[in-house]
Amino acid sequence: MGLILYTRIPAALFWIVAFPVVMLLGLGTVFGGTETGDRKLVWEQSGPPSPADALLIAALSERGTAVDPLSAADAEARWKGGKLPAMLEGRDGRYRLRINNYLVGQAMQTEAMVQEAFLVAQARAHGLADPARIPVVMSSPGGHRGGPYAAYLLPGLLGLNLLMMGVFSTGIVDVTLRAKGGYKRLATTPLPRYVYLGAQLTVRIIVVLIAAALLMLVGALAFHIHNEGSYAGLLLVQMLGAACFISLGYLLASFAQTPEVYSGIANLTFLPLMLLSGVYFSLDGAPVWLQRTADLLPLTPLLRVLRAIFNDGADLASQWTGIAIVAAWTTLLFAVATRRFKWV
Amino acid sequence: MTDCLAIEAIGLRKSFRDVQAVRGLDLRVVRGEVFGLLGPNGAGKTTTLEMLEGLVLPDSGQIRVLGMDWRDHGTAIRTRIGVQFQSTELDDQVKVREALEMFGSFYPRARAPSELLRLLHLEDKADAYQRRLSGGQRQRLALGLALVNDPELVFLDEPTTGLDPQARQGVWDLVRQLKGEGRTVLLTTHYMEEAEVLCDRVGIMDRGQILQLGTPRELIAGLQQPSIAEIEFLGSAPDVGPFTAQWGKPVEVKEQIWAVPLADAKKDLQSLLVCIEALNLPMQQLHVRRASLEDVFLQQTGRSLRD
Repeated sequence: MGLILYTRIPAALFWIVAFPVVMLLGLGTVFGGTETGDRKLVWEQSGPPSPADALLIAALSERGTAVDPLSAADAEARWKGGKLPAMLEGRDGRYRLRINNYLVGQAMQTEAMVQEAFLVAQARAHGLADPARIPVVMSSPGGHRGGPYAAYLLPGLLGLNLLMMGVFSTGIVDVTLRAKGGYKRLATTPLPRYVYLGAQLTVRIIVVLIAAALLMLVGALAFHIHNEGSYAGLLLVQMLGAACFISLGYLLASFAQTPEVYSGIANLTFLPLMLLSGVYFSLDGAPVWLQRTADLLPLTPLLRVLRAIFNDGADLASQWTGIAIVAAWTTLLFAVATRRFKWV
Repeated sequence: MTDCLAIEAIGLRKSFRDVQAVRGLDLRVVRGEVFGLLGPNGAGKTTTLEMLEGLVLPDSGQIRVLGMDWRDHGTAIRTRIGVQFQSTELDDQVKVREALEMFGSFYPRARAPSELLRLLHLEDKADAYQRRLSGGQRQRLALGLALVNDPELVFLDEPTTGLDPQARQGVWDLVRQLKGEGRTVLLTTHYMEEAEVLCDRVGIMDRGQILQLGTPRELIAGLQQPSIAEIEFLGSAPDVGPFTAQWGKPVEVKEQIWAVPLADAKKDLQSLLVCIEALNLPMQQLHVRRASLEDVFLQQTGRSLRD
């Protein structure tokens, strides 16, 4: 019954099932990273390419970067557009790389590549062998294998989805039912509470698992990323995460009388958890105290465990600290939420 | 004796923080009767009902429903009662027939949805979403959900509030049918005519207590002034001061009508006419009617029900 109702609320279905897929496709593609061959470098040129320029163009092209030669006016217009991380200027050996200080992260990659190509072009101009490079190997922290950004993102989205389900979907329904007298009406029937709450939990867990399956399917089809660990372990950790965040949802709901108040409370909880958890990016650059705090919140260790399993094929035993933190949170949240839960 | 009582409540009290919602209420509802709790908003009707339905624990007092105590036989009572709230907001995404099926699944034994749809005259709305229903249809569905388990005792909290006259008539027909089937009905209302038309017995409630109890006819007959003369003016009524001074008893003023309670229509009408004549009142019409439950309430509390 509850499942049918889900299909009748397109918004709910979107946030839980489609949203993670959209995020994966969108962010995974934009920050695709490792694939080469389709990068373009804008080059402001005032005349036809000299032999030195031709050598640089060849060296760039070997590194998967095509040159987009533009006149000074056109190049300036592109630069003003604000989307270029970096732009090459000058000709015949006297070059300058202009870097957009808002997009330093992306520009640095371009810079490294252009510098390397320049060294190669210079060596060739003097009839020397190409300079040697330190070899680079792509690998994930668990050392299992390299993967695109989407592979970092996917387990994060799996975990984030659990949080969204708990804090938004569960909590909102709970507050609404209580505010509009739905629970009261149920309380006049002989239906035991645990049956009703059990049904709510079952429906939510089924929806989350469907969403997870879809996400992994899209990940496999679009980015060729696969679960490296055991599906049983992944399932178990997701169930634990679901229990943790659904408890959190019920607990938050017990503090709000109306759905309007609740959405404030929910966002106030959701946003810090999400931003500190490293769903989309690593928190490496943040102050140490903030990282330590984030480590103790439930989402961060959950994501770490999910990533370890999914990306590196870790077994559950090696992840016991993360699992213990999430389990401790679950116990605490469940205990307080049950104590505060009211039918009427 | 207790076997023929559907509800027996003794000395019910309930306070919310510093508000005493119900203060020492006794109530006996006989099996098979339609009993009405009548009173203005805030009289404590809903709190009383919720205590009887087992939703709210009374601060003190005793309740037996169908001969059983809530503390020991909660599930058994719930299986045999039906409850309709003032406003039941169900999930908008549930269709009418599904709602009946879903609530039916909560009980060990349930009536077939098709049978209920026929009873409620909602057959052509069976597959409609609830948000598409009119107010009257929603109310009938809420009533249907209260009847899904074939209950012996039905609680209806203001079943016709906010309905248009035609929809109200539809709910009244349903309540009469329930009585015809031998069920006990306890309803609350602040519509006098509803209580007069539907109820075998009425309890008039105000400020958390039952002031008076009886059949509508008894209550009206028990009035000191069982008839009301209504003097109607064209346009606005003149100042009532000189009239009350001469008449000597209180008069209720409603816009362009003066309602004058009469103890004995035959004798008092005479003196009323003399009084009108003497003051030369610009009267448009005069008519005399039997007092209603509304007048009972007014005379009991000195206040109008609709305040």
